[in-house]
Amino acid sequence: MIRVAAVGDIHMGLESQGLLRPAFDTLPDCADLLLLAGDLTRHGTPEEARVVAREVRGLAVPVVAVLGNHDHHDEQPGKVAALLEDAGVRVLEGEGTVVECAGTRVGVAGTKGFGGGFVGRSAGEFGEPLMKEFVRYSRRCADGLRAALEELDRQGCAIRVALTHFSPVADTLAGEPPEIYPFLGSYLLAEAIDTAGADLSVHGHAHAGTEHGMTAGGVRVRNVAQPVIRRAFNVYHLHAG
Amino acid sequence: MNEPAAPHPGENVEYRVAHLRDRLAAEELGELGVRAEMRAGAVVVTGTVPSAQCRETVLRTVHEELSGLSVHTDVVVAETATPDHAEELP
Repeated sequence: MIRVAAVGDIHMGLESQGLLRPAFDTLPDCADLLLLAGDLTRHGTPEEARVVAREVRGLAVPVVAVLGNHDHHDEQPGKVAALLEDAGVRVLEGEGTVVECAGTRVGVAGTKGFGGGFVGRSAGEFGEPLMKEFVRYSRRCADGLRAALEELDRQGCAIRVALTHFSPVADTLAGEPPEIYPFLGSYLLAEAIDTAGADLSVHGHAHAGTEHGMTAGGVRVRNVAQPVIRRAFNVYHLHAG
Repeated sequence: MNEPAAPHPGENVEYRVAHLRDRLAAEELGELGVRAEMRAGAVVVTGTVPSAQCRETVLRTVHEELSGLSVHTDVVVAETATPDHAEELP
């Protein structure tokens, strides 16, 4: 049994230092790894990223993250990722990583993802260059996720988790205004997950959404945005095979 | 609390609510998770923010931006407790 802890949307600012560390220090008692589902900062500044880095530096479990839209706001996502990596966090974008947990190979594939909406109510790759690029960017994120999940399968991972910031399904957005669903996720992520296969999909971004959902292919989805789970993190027990 | 003044005749409250949301997103908060909606003649502001300081800033901004309007707020700070159980995913 693998114990996966996850939280997203912690939105740390300069006054946030120490808010989550006491709970994170208990992780070795209840989890084998910690997933951070993006929006770790408020504006994506290096100063805010340093707060996050200090909050997770030296934790006794591996930490794997994706960035969120807030982490891009200052237009320095590479710097944010580098500061987190320097603190020992594996930051994923269109790639995967393998974590050895009690003799089991656990693969985590990650992308921030993007919007576009869900089947029958989604944006199309048509018209103005900006509109086409919107959809193409979302498709590139989903393609990266699919390729990473497939690579983890080739690497013999017994358990694979898809980690995103944007949602792959509409289920976990329930509670948000339906009019903004296209800004909260894309079915392209779910299609990638169902095509490549995964044991669990974890995302954030939708603060007013709900925790539980499922892709059309039957993969369980969990929205771990901190305002949704109302804890420092949630823990999911996964069983190989 | 003083009785809120009625909006000026012809004033479009919807745009004031939209400007509030723009300001919450643009200023020091970068806050996109607070919802402000018109309901029965009042503005209802709800959401979860990451810290007590953020909550104070949101409420101060709301009262500045919506001065003179009837406003109800339910803005809470994100909880940081350790979970007391795990979810089994067989």
